[in-house]
Amino acid sequence: MALTRDSVPVIGRVVATETLPASPHQFHFWTPTATPIGIGAIVRVDGEDRTVFGVVLDARAYSDLVTPLHEVIGAEGDPGAAAPPTRRAEIRLWTAAVLRQEPEEPLQPVPLARVRLATPADVTLALRMDAYAQSEPRSAIPVGLYAAGGTRAPVWLDPDFLLGPESAHLNINGVSGLATKTSAVLFLLSAVFQHFPRGKGRIAAVCFNVKGPDLGFLDRPAALTPQDLEMYAALDVAPEPFDRVRFYAPYKADGVNLNTLRTHPALAGSVEPLVWGLREVLDYSEVLLNRDDIDAKADAFLDFLADRVVGKPFIDEWGGRHAVESFGDLERLFRAIFDGLEAAGGRDMWRTHHVATIRKVRNRLMNISTRCKGLVTDDADGNDLPFGAFEDRTVYVVDVAGVDQLGQDLVFTRVVSKLREHLERRDLGVEHVVAFVDELNKYAPADGPETYVRKMLLDLSERGRYLGLVLFGAQQFRSQVHRRVVGNAGTTVYGRMDMDELATPGYQILSPATKIKLATLPKGELMVRHPHFTQPVFVRFPRPASLQGRQGVEQFPPVPDVAFDDAVVRQLAALDRRVPAARVKDLIADRREDDVRRALLATRRARPHDVLAFFAARLGPAVRRQTIGDPAPGADVAPLRTVEDPYAP
Amino acid sequence: MARGLAREAARQPGGRPFAEARVVEGRDVRAIPVGEPVTGPEGMGFVDGIQRFAVEGHFGVTPVVRAQVAAAALERHGGALRCAARSVEEFLTVPRDRLTTDQWEALTDVGLPIQESDPGPRPHPLLDRWAAVQVIEQRRDRCEADAAARFLAARPDAWLVVDGGVTGLAAVRGADRAIGVVKSHETQFLEATDLEAALTLPAGSRSSAFVRRGAGGVEATSWYLRLWPWSEEDLLHGLARVERLTARGALDSADDVSRWLLAERSPVADRDPRWERLLYPMHHVEMYMRAEAGGWH
Ligand SMILES: Nc1ncnc2c1ncn2[C@@H]1O[C@H](COP(=O)(O)OP(=O)(O)OP(=O)(O)O)[C@@H](O)[C@H]1O
Ligand SMILES: [Mg+2]
Repeated sequence: MALTRDSVPVIGRVVATETLPASPHQFHFWTPTATPIGIGAIVRVDGEDRTVFGVVLDARAYSDLVTPLHEVIGAEGDPGAAAPPTRRAEIRLWTAAVLRQEPEEPLQPVPLARVRLATPADVTLALRMDAYAQSEPRSAIPVGLYAAGGTRAPVWLDPDFLLGPESAHLNINGVSGLATKTSAVLFLLSAVFQHFPRGKGRIAAVCFNVKGPDLGFLDRPAALTPQDLEMYAALDVAPEPFDRVRFYAPYKADGVNLNTLRTHPALAGSVEPLVWGLREVLDYSEVLLNRDDIDAKADAFLDFLADRVVGKPFIDEWGGRHAVESFGDLERLFRAIFDGLEAAGGRDMWRTHHVATIRKVRNRLMNISTRCKGLVTDDADGNDLPFGAFEDRTVYVVDVAGVDQLGQDLVFTRVVSKLREHLERRDLGVEHVVAFVDELNKYAPADGPETYVRKMLLDLSERGRYLGLVLFGAQQFRSQVHRRVVGNAGTTVYGRMDMDELATPGYQILSPATKIKLATLPKGELMVRHPHFTQPVFVRFPRPASLQGRQGVEQFPPVPDVAFDDAVVRQLAALDRRVPAARVKDLIADRREDDVRRALLATRRARPHDVLAFFAARLGPAVRRQTIGDPAPGADVAPLRTVEDPYAP
Repeated sequence: MARGLAREAARQPGGRPFAEARVVEGRDVRAIPVGEPVTGPEGMGFVDGIQRFAVEGHFGVTPVVRAQVAAAALERHGGALRCAARSVEEFLTVPRDRLTTDQWEALTDVGLPIQESDPGPRPHPLLDRWAAVQVIEQRRDRCEADAAARFLAARPDAWLVVDGGVTGLAAVRGADRAIGVVKSHETQFLEATDLEAALTLPAGSRSSAFVRRGAGGVEATSWYLRLWPWSEEDLLHGLARVERLTARGALDSADDVSRWLLAERSPVADRDPRWERLLYPMHHVEMYMRAEAGGWH
């Protein structure tokens, strides 16, 4: 390591007194009043036989004035009095925390020597990035540019500590609209995709879009300023949007219009429906049944349904034969049970299950099918993320912004659990997945009742890194997120912060000056904590290269919902542009919407060569409407409101 | 602010309590308002010195004193002071006549210059020490004069404020640009109504000028200047005596020089008990030299 730095100007000198001593972890230095130094600047101290790197945490200025009263007397009470002929002796005294010492042993106090601004090479050493950023091949992910006093240096994260297995997860924090949280995550994700070493395996991201159009245009380029481009170049990241993005969104209640803001015709067909059947929902019914009033009895009944009923021929006591594949089938079974019990003189037990338990479970399950109408289908099969066929460097955006909390909980739980399962079995298609959850405070709140989603996020934050499943979480107030979820994040990023938030106990370790800096951080500047960095470091990052949600909906305004038949035409046209609209409309006229939906979904899934023929075949021969008495699920099922049902509409 | 003088008042003034002077501005001494304070010319200098000493040991009962004296001239540009000339001297002082040849030789082996102090009629711990201090003060005066001379030579247009009288600078080239500011009033030059007029000057006024004669017959033109209002407890509060070598123009500039000095009231040298008559730049010179000298072993 070259320790001579004669060409770098000296900007200060370490001072130590009995009350302000230099220690192995902290030191003080003075500079002239005009200095490029500021809070967060990295400096180096060159002693005779040791070099110390430090980061400025705090600063003071004072003069030789004993009491302010003397200043008043000197100015004869007139604050506007002419400037005195001599400026008082004054000092700029800076406090710095040690980042690294060379040699590391024996650990000694910082030498009382000259102070220089760190060069880019110094920054690499000071943040201990040399171990991974200078290895061959390089294994480092750029997070932003350190900039102080004219020095600009890339700051890298260690992939082993960001994405596992050493430590993992990232949490980002800061006030709405100013902290650039979502933007920072997107930039970092680009950096991860471009710099994650090939040798460490394939990587994909699953991003839950929980807010408006936020993540709806990740495949579209954003307008970048020359400064942004310069930063991209300095960070060695190509300023390009994500080239592989798959969008998923549930339908709206009508079952044909997608519940997303990415509906502009120019983007038609780029959003896949996210549709789940009974089996998919039942496996994760814990999500819906995680309140106190759900007990072991309900669990037992659910297990019974899952093991003995769904997907198997089932014969009830009254001779009814059931093949339960869908919510509709299940509802018929429930009816049969209730009617049978009633006919038997009001018995209240059925196969060791109390009728109250059965009603409770039925209520919850049917509730899902009404509340999440566009997400769950009456059909046996749904349309899901390509678990098992995940692709390298691909972003899977799951748009749940328009879905209510129950549906969001279900989506999170199922998607994350599936990712887990597949990663455990090593058959997902990629070895690493970043799951990005915005508004983490909503899904893993610090207080409130224990929910299944929170348990799942907690489990993910605690065990995910061994599996390659990494949580990137964002929220406005870290203090409102479950402590262990944020605590397990190996890398923590802060954007502009709220003063009240900074006053909470979690921030006590930060110096007052650092807090002020955080409370006034401009857009695009962040404070990063990472296991290799002894102290937090401030960095700048460029705007994401993919189109932001707000600009996205300006450029690609969502279209209003279309009528059922038009929506069907559009979806088929997205599969094959030659499909004639009039023919489709003729085909589906007078058909039950559910049948049409089912045929449509099957066509989407099969992606047949001849779209129209396949669709027509699935639809089957025309049958007069309303000749069949089957009710649509939920349509005529009176929601049975049990007391204190938190999910009741 | 500490009333330094209240403590000192009981002390018997050293040196000469009285000396002659002749009023050269009118017949009687009166108060002359000098007008608004005006910042002195850019590049103005300020000279002061420090001294410190320690008894390093004894030959029998004869003390050996080690001393360091230093002086610096700081110049002011844009309100900031920086060093323009320095002078430092370190030495031993002993009453030589009381030492044996061996003792003297042992002392010369130390390698520091030796200044002889007055042996007095016979050993006396307090008087011996006092005699050493006399030597140290003389050397310090020389040091200050040396720094002043170097400044005046290097800055042929600059004014220089010195701590104390100016008659000692008579031989220095450019000494007509020196302004002495005397804070101690141990010697009184005026009497009767003249004295009363001088000691009861209102703030912002100076006395009529008078000429006093210093060592070697050198003449200085002098006047009192009230920097801060005096109080019933202390006539000398905020009172300085200003002097310049008597020369053409010395008298004519009394108002201008006084206004410059009035401007020096701010900032207040509030770390010094004599803030009411110590100019901040002079205080700064002292701070500078103490910092510069560092620890002394
Ligand atoms: N690197 C950057 N430099 C400057 N401005 C930026 C940068 N990144 C994002 N911005 C701007 O900052 C604003 C907020 O960004 P972003 O939406 O990422 O913030 P957020 O913290 O996620 O907000 P919210 O809490 O509302 O979701 C946007 O208008 C964006 O244009
Ligand atoms: Mg955001």
